[in-house]
Order: sequence, then C-alpha cells, then structure tokens
Amino acid sequence: MTMTMTSGAAQRPAVFGDVDRAARRVLATNWRRCATVPAAGLYPHQWSWDSAFIAIGLRHLSPVRAQRELESLFGAQWRDGRVPHIVFDPHVDPDAYFPGPSFWRSASAPGAPAVPTSGIVQPPAHALAAWLTYRADPAAARARGFLPRIYPRLVAWHRYLTARRDLTGAGLVAFVHPWESGMDNSPAWDAPLARITPAPTGDFTRRDLHHAAAAERPTDEDYGRYVRLARDYRDAGYADSLRVHAFAVEDPLGNALLAAGEDALAAMATELGRDPRPHLAAAERLSAALVSTLYDPAAGMFFPRDAHTGALIRSGSVGGLLPLIVPGLPVAAALIATARGDRFRLGQACPLPSYDLTAADHDPGRYWRGPGWINTSWLFWHGLRLHGETALADDLRRRLLERVRAAGFREYLDPLTGAGHGADDFSWTAALTLDLLRAA
Amino acid sequence: MIKISCQEQLLPGQTLPEKFAFARSAGYDGIELRARGDFAFRDRLPELRRAAREGVIMPSVCVDMAHFLGAFDAGLRRDAVAQLKSQLSVIAEVGGPGAVACTPAAWGMFSRRLPPFEPPRSEEEDRAVLLDGLAELGRHAAREGATLVLEPLNRYEDHMVNRLEQAVGLVAEVGLASVRVLADTYHMNIEEDEPSSALVEAAAWLGHVQVSDSNRFQPGAGHLDWAALLGTLDAVGYDGYLALECRLRGEPAAAVAAVPGFLRRHDVSVPV
Repeated sequence: MTMTMTSGAAQRPAVFGDVDRAARRVLATNWRRCATVPAAGLYPHQWSWDSAFIAIGLRHLSPVRAQRELESLFGAQWRDGRVPHIVFDPHVDPDAYFPGPSFWRSASAPGAPAVPTSGIVQPPAHALAAWLTYRADPAAARARGFLPRIYPRLVAWHRYLTARRDLTGAGLVAFVHPWESGMDNSPAWDAPLARITPAPTGDFTRRDLHHAAAAERPTDEDYGRYVRLARDYRDAGYADSLRVHAFAVEDPLGNALLAAGEDALAAMATELGRDPRPHLAAAERLSAALVSTLYDPAAGMFFPRDAHTGALIRSGSVGGLLPLIVPGLPVAAALIATARGDRFRLGQACPLPSYDLTAADHDPGRYWRGPGWINTSWLFWHGLRLHGETALADDLRRRLLERVRAAGFREYLDPLTGAGHGADDFSWTAALTLDLLRAA
Repeated sequence: MIKISCQEQLLPGQTLPEKFAFARSAGYDGIELRARGDFAFRDRLPELRRAAREGVIMPSVCVDMAHFLGAFDAGLRRDAVAQLKSQLSVIAEVGGPGAVACTPAAWGMFSRRLPPFEPPRSEEEDRAVLLDGLAELGRHAAREGATLVLEPLNRYEDHMVNRLEQAVGLVAEVGLASVRVLADTYHMNIEEDEPSSALVEAAAWLGHVQVSDSNRFQPGAGHLDWAALLGTLDAVGYDGYLALECRLRGEPAAAVAAVPGFLRRHDVSVPV
C-alpha cells in the first residue's frame, strides 16, 4: 500500500480512491471471524467502543459484517446489562494482552457470559453505531432480524449505565476506571487517580510496551493504579457503589454518547413499531443533567466531575467538547467557539487535540495528553453536521482525510505536525476514514 | 469497477458472438471458455479466432476434462499436462494480454471424506507430482505469455489442494510469475476459516476468481457475504475477472442475466 502526496486537485479522487481501498484492506485484515481487532499486535481481542466505531465504517465494506461486529459484542453482554470493555478471543494466547482473562476472572462473576471478558465498560457509542449500521442496508438488516435482536440488548446496556452507574444521584453515569472513559491517560484523571495507591509493579507484567514506545504510553506508576482499581472492582464481585469505587467520575463524553444513544434508540423503537417516547425523555433528561451539572459557561465547555468530591475537574479534554453530538444541545454554539479558539484550534490543529493546546503539560505524543484521535474528531464532525455547521464539518473532514493520507491509519496523530503515533493499521482510524470518504 | 465474465455454456445463443451479445447486454465484460480434452480446444481455433476478430472478449479458459495434472496414473498426468499446454497456447492467442487457463489439481479422483478414505499416494508424492506439472506448465505459460491458475477444490471433490494457502504454498515453491492461484468462492465457503481473510492472505498470488454462491448456484442465490468478498478483492488490489461458474436457479437466461447487476450492487469500490 502506498499513499503518495500530491497537490494536483485533478489527482485527488484517485488518491482518495487509494485511501478508500487501503482502509478496506485494514478492515479485511483485522477481521477475526465475528469481530474486528483494533490492531493486530497491540490489541488482539474485541474492544467495546472500538467495535462501535469500527461498525460505522465496516457498514460500507459489508453491512452484514458491521451487524455481526455489534452482535458479537452484545453476545458477550453480562446479565446485568453491562457490555464488557474487552471480549477475549479464546484463540489468542491468554498472555498476549494484560490484563487478560486470568486477571478479570469473569467466569466466577455472577451473570457473566461463557466467553471470557473484562468486567469494566467503555463509552456507550453502540446505539448510535447500531442505528447507522441499520441505515446502511435496512433490507439486509431486516432479513437478519438485526434491530429486533440488538435493540433490547442496547436498552439493557443503557439501563445498566443509568441504574447502576448513577453513583451520585445527579442523573449522570459515572466511569469507575480511567480505561472506562476511553481516554485512559487523560490529565483529567490525574487528581482523582492520585488518591489511589498503586499496585506494586511486581504484581503485574505490562504487555503494551512490547508494541509501543514507553514514552507514548502511561507510566508504570499510573499503570499500577489502573491495576489496583480493576483488582478492587473484581474482588468486590463487580458490584457498583461509591464504597467500592475509589475512582469515580461523571464524564461529558460518556454521558453525551448515552444521550445521543437514547435518541438513536428512539429511532429504532419507531422503526420497530414501539414507543419512542421513553427514549426521547431519557435523552432530554441526560442532556439537561449534562448541561446543569458538567457545563462551565465561563470555560465554554464541559468538564468531568469527581463523584467523590462533587467538584468539576477543570481539565481541558476534547471530551468536554463532544456533547456537541447531543441533538438539540443548547450550548452547541459555545462549544464550537471553544473548539475554534486557542485551546483546540479547529481549522488548524488536526485531528482535534485530545487536550488543551495551551496547557503547560500538553504533550503532543503521549497517550490522551495531547495527540488527536480520529474517533473523537469523527464525533465532533458528526456534531457539527447535526447542528448545521456544514462548512466547518466539511473543512474538518477534508483535513482529517489529508492527515490520514499522509500518515496512514495510525492510532493517533500529532495534531500540529500530523506525525503518526501508536499502533499502525488501526481499525477505527481505517473505519472512520472510510465513513468520512463515503460522506462526500 | 469489477470485471465480470461468464462461462460459455451458461449463455444462451448458438455461436460465441451470439453468446457475447447476450452477455454484454446483461452487463458482462467477457466470456470464460471451457476446454475439453483430446485437443478439442485447439480444434476450435478457427471458431475462436473468428470470434476474437468479431470483438468477443475471451480472457480465460477453464479445463473441462476427466483427468488432471495430479492424476494417480502417469499416462493420464502426461496427457493432462499436454492438454493444458495446448490450452495455454490457444488462450494466449485468443485471450489477449493477461490470458488465463484454469485447472484444479484433480477433480472427482479421490476424497478423504469418502471411502476408502486413504488415497493410494502419499502427501509427499502428491506434492512432487503437482510441483512437476506446475513447473512444466508454468514455463510453457511464460513462453506463451499466459498464466496458469491452480484452483483449490472442496474436500469432496479433491484430496490434495482444498484451501488457498495450500495452493499458495505450491505456487510459491514453483516460483514462476506465470503460475498463480484461482479463488473460487463456492469452494472457499466450504474450506476457508474466513473467505475474505483468506483472500487477504493470498492477495499477492491471486490470478483469477470464479464466483458462485454457497450452494453452487449463481451469486445471490445463497448466503455468501458478497459485499465483504468483493470489497476485499478490490481492497487487496485484485483487478482480474470474476468468472461466473455455477449452476442456475430459476429460468436460466434470466438467472444469468441478473448476475452482473447483483454483483455490481455489492461492489463497494469507489469509482475513480
């Protein structure tokens, strides 16, 4: 695969044709019988929110395969409704990834599926992905009974989050591990994480450093804290309460995805001849709670809230802009203005930086502390279109495609130079690139 | 854009130009010829030359005989190689650049899934026989400017080469650019863990593709994921023909005519 630079506008369609073909090649290569691995070496199992973003692109390669991607994930749903953040592939060496099946011990947890999984969750991008997947080929979806099967599972998933993870009673969902946020190493988690005593480094063996440069990955001390939190949750039988969860944050991105997901569930309910109103009401409640609890008008963006202290964590994460994906969000204009300001420089920096460019500790190469991801930029693009900002959306789309054409399908990129970092042939980068290409 | 051809016996019409006119109007780009033994294909040369002059596109030929290059009997093997050499020469003349001749290792000779289960020849001997035949045919194909493609068949039709990776192993050892692998979607559906993944793995060796659905009827009659298959073929850079080789469900002419439209509906490549 070669993706050469060219400035000739006449050549552009052919060049993007190559990117399109290369993106499909990544998706075909990373497919493992019933699901897609995020990256062949670093991430050899099925990841929850990865599968959602992958399905959004996979629907252009094969609508049926995109349906299977989501079905296989929800086939590993726990009886309590949680969708685990990893579904382990039994064909892969159990030691290929840490923490693996022997760490999570899902088999001894009540209501866990037969296939080994982790016990934590990831942001609920699935309802949105399922609706987009359905729309790619409604006839194929109907022939396979996709919506009637996936809808009740999505409802159970959202019910788990709203019922078991509303730890403060604010009507918002809390993540109880940095990994649950999807933005594992975000500076926003530094303060709540500092309270956690790390597991001794002798207690675990990292596998991520075999595949990526240590300077781009979390530190050993932070990794010890991640292990400690996950172990405590496991040892509590994966019960949810503030007593169990030493780390608990109400995160704008997770709650925004849930609100947007309720909107998608409403559309599915209508399609299935059921009542959409409970979902629309849930979307409104979540949207209102987001704005009243996590929005900071002075900063023009949302912040996570520490569920233990009740205080906002005023850290400029891209997640604080992503409630833009919520239909009818009243502060959309302010979020867009913030994105265009110095902190995120929409229109110049691309992908959208994961962390405030003006912050003293912004690091353009380190995991979730500065570089940009395609999925968060895709969500912002989706939000721009939702709120009628077509010109800004088209500009972001064009910049993202140029970045990917130059760097390839990397896990994340330096938003200023475009240099690629992390895993190569990263599935959601390829999938969302395909979706952006097909959105023309 | 994918290129689609149709085996000649599936097309209505008495002559190749008649068949080709039907094929073109249905959306096909070419005809895959069938070649019987006893040099019957060579004996068709006047007909084939006339058709080529009249603009009939015939980029490939598929062997249609009772014995093959992997036959247990040495005499039959020699004849199969002689027939294929002749077929390569003919298709090189009438097929144009990139002309392809197709053969399996054998067909209907032995199956490990049916009594007596254990073939009379060892795997090592099978391999030696196939390597000999492929090398000889490959040298001939290179001289003629054509390509020989080896087709894995499912376990009930052949005991030697069932999966793409087995064909790739043989072709790699032969080491000639004039010998490639044929991927047939029907056999792959039976034998490959995941057909599209097998195509990715075999991409560099792929020389030809034959299409039929999971039930050996025309694409669309079974349960193969055509979007995934065609999207993968395009993604790995396959730019050869998809040749229709199948049985027909429904009224034959209508069934054949519907295939290009069906396949192109599942062609997810971007027009460039």
